[in-house]
Amino acid sequence: MATAVHLDGITKRFPGVVANDDVDLAVRRGTVHALLGENGAGKTTLMNVLYGLYEPTDGQVYVGGEPRRFDSPRDAIDAGVGMIHQHFMLVDPMTVTENVTLGNEPRKWLGLTVDEERARREVVDLRDRYGFDVDPDARIEEVGVGVQQRVEILKALYRGAEVLILDEPTAVLTPQEVDDLFAVFEELTAQGKTIIFITHKLGEAMHAADEITVLRDGRNVGTVPADEVTREELAEMMVGREVLRTVEKPPADRGERVLAVDGVSVDDDRGVEAVSDVSFSVRAGEVFGIAGVDGNGQSELIEAVTGLRDPTAGRIVYRGEDVTDWSRRRRIEARMSYVPEDRHERGLVMDFDLTQNGILGSQHSDEFACDGRLDWDAARDHAETIIEEYDVRPPNRRAAAASFSGGNQQKFIVGREFERDPALVVATHPTRGVDIGSTEFIHDRLLALRSSGVAVLLVSSNLEEVRGLSDRLAVVHDGEIMDVVDPESATEEEIGLLMAGEDPSDGSGPVAAGATNEGGR
Amino acid sequence: MSNAVASRAGLSTRRLAGLALGAAVALFVLAGVAMPDSTPGKVLRVAFTKSALAATLRLSVPIAFAALGGIFAEKSGVINIGLEGLLIISAFVAVYAADVGGSVWLGLLVGVLASTLLAGLFAVVCIEFRADQIIAGLAVWLIALGLAPFASQAIYGGPNTESLEGSFGTITVPVLSEIPFFGALFDANPVVYLMFAAVGLSWYALNRTSFGRWVVASGENPKALDTAGVNVTRVRYAAVLLSGVLAGFGGAALSLSLGQFIGNGATMVNGKGFIAIVAYLFGNYNPVGALLSTFLFAGLDALQIRLQAAAIIAVPQSLVRTIPYVAVIVVLALFGRTRIPEAAGDHYESGED
Repeated sequence: MATAVHLDGITKRFPGVVANDDVDLAVRRGTVHALLGENGAGKTTLMNVLYGLYEPTDGQVYVGGEPRRFDSPRDAIDAGVGMIHQHFMLVDPMTVTENVTLGNEPRKWLGLTVDEERARREVVDLRDRYGFDVDPDARIEEVGVGVQQRVEILKALYRGAEVLILDEPTAVLTPQEVDDLFAVFEELTAQGKTIIFITHKLGEAMHAADEITVLRDGRNVGTVPADEVTREELAEMMVGREVLRTVEKPPADRGERVLAVDGVSVDDDRGVEAVSDVSFSVRAGEVFGIAGVDGNGQSELIEAVTGLRDPTAGRIVYRGEDVTDWSRRRRIEARMSYVPEDRHERGLVMDFDLTQNGILGSQHSDEFACDGRLDWDAARDHAETIIEEYDVRPPNRRAAAASFSGGNQQKFIVGREFERDPALVVATHPTRGVDIGSTEFIHDRLLALRSSGVAVLLVSSNLEEVRGLSDRLAVVHDGEIMDVVDPESATEEEIGLLMAGEDPSDGSGPVAAGATNEGGR
Repeated sequence: MSNAVASRAGLSTRRLAGLALGAAVALFVLAGVAMPDSTPGKVLRVAFTKSALAATLRLSVPIAFAALGGIFAEKSGVINIGLEGLLIISAFVAVYAADVGGSVWLGLLVGVLASTLLAGLFAVVCIEFRADQIIAGLAVWLIALGLAPFASQAIYGGPNTESLEGSFGTITVPVLSEIPFFGALFDANPVVYLMFAAVGLSWYALNRTSFGRWVVASGENPKALDTAGVNVTRVRYAAVLLSGVLAGFGGAALSLSLGQFIGNGATMVNGKGFIAIVAYLFGNYNPVGALLSTFLFAGLDALQIRLQAAAIIAVPQSLVRTIPYVAVIVVLALFGRTRIPEAAGDHYESGED
């Protein structure tokens, strides 16, 4: 089969960094090719070279067998290469049709006016040809992420793309939407299009791709057919050593009750009840896990525990005291640590450097503040400690948090929160979007805290993670705890059923009438 | 649930206040109609005259043009707070050019040119050199506020220029201009008709042309426009220059209609550029909406001038003079539901990550 894209010896250097080092890549026409690697392995840089956003320091790009030199994405688009970025490039208040045709609007009346009928017809034709479920008149701000992604794909197709590059396309999707996306891949390749998608998830690469190329430290480690390779082999290629997938932990040495949540109900932003009458407790020296599909009340529950949202009913007892009405500051001072789920929104101030970010939450403590002044020397030392202890690799010490990779940002937040000498750690999705190496590191630290007698409340939608780390596991669905199970003895199927709102012991019927429909997907 | 009730209550407080205001205005009008000799009756009689409408239209011209200009600039992502300065510079230059060239139409053209040049300077500073748009916009105002009266001083020996001989005159439509009250629409200065034309053209440009799409995309998500292969910088330059052209029409029309540039204090522009900003925000960046809110402010301005003269209400004149500005605050607080472009005020550089 013909080669759609051939990258020959691509090297891309940035000041002080080699992002791509002599990478070869050949992608056959009409196939799905996964570009697999950890955060910072150079996947996105390589694709930006192909898309004309970066000029390679060395090497040659061939598209359709011909040598090409792209000075801008415009050139790449003209050569039939389209890219769908991780952050969608869509204009929210505009309609699907307007977004798809933006910059290439069909015109009438001497080019003075956009021919809206023709634009709409062309978009509908394109949509029908590939079987996309998209309303051409819907505004982008009204449709979900899955649809937005399809609009991006339509945009590339409208511009005549033969090769589609997708950067981490599944990061923002629900499992159901991921399946839909992979179905779209099949439809596209069936019609002769070529797809390259970037991912750091092994399972997705194996599931959706025909061939997988693994990048590590900017180098091509190898290209393998997806159906002839095992997870273990791929994982080893990614990190360059044997990976232990199972977490080993000694039995829990439970102490006193640190946190007790008693009949708590919480409303979400719209005033709808998101958590209904939930009770549980966490003891010193154990990890209490909460598993569930995102959006089943986990965020609201955690915000109530950490003091970011007022519960509408119930009590939160922390180390023997009723803290329901305590301020966030008081809870921090009482040694409650929090690794938030959205590190950009709540974990870091993106314009601050590490010294400033390192004392967030501790800005009142005597350690860093005296006589109403901040002690920047102490803050700097503190940041250094976190950087050393938690293996944070910043581009440079004074760089703003925004310039770090996601994994390094997360390690820094985890370091800051774990170094507070906490009695309770509330960690939500602590390894979301983090590569394997960093994930293992964060898991080890979390278990070390547990061994030293800290109570840990862990929320994660990653079942493997929450099962591996927890001593007791609560499964939530639609704002209620379905059951608290022993993660060692419960099977994945049992937990899966509970997450879908069904009680495995009780046949297949739904537990609460009508609850399954909303929560199931 | 209590939160939901509270938030609904919070929303309705604002709506209640709005309704109360509407009811008060309606009551005032009713009282005026029922009792022509009462104070409301006298106010209405002053307000609903052909001359009041004519004054409203005349006062609307600079505000509406500046508002249209502001829409294009801000929709594209460049907040042009310097509209006031553009009005001032074009007001002076237009009179000077008309004086030297002997034609008000030449004056209009040169006034527009001057405003466009100043807007171009603003664009270079904001887009090329990435200056803060608000500060650069204030600088445009302050430069014009100093430059225009200074030039007048140098040329005419005082902050006010001499009066021009010629004028635009009026275009009178036979028969239609005889209609009571609305007849003023058909017996007006040509610049009034220009204003209506500009509103229509601006609406068309924004909503029906590719350029309009690009302007919107440039202000909402410039990166989306860039990756679609359209040069964001060029779109923004075009939009800001267009705001200069439009504001130039407004400023030139203002001074040429009067036949003189008045440079004392805040000059004859006297905050119209800032009212224009409120007008387009209140009109939610829609040219037609901006025109209607311009009419509201200009109408109140025309009314307060007449109330001062008629002395119907026993209120100090300096308080009567604040009516349009009080209206601005009330309107923004009660009815403001503006959606500001996502990327307004942000710099954009292609190829940035």
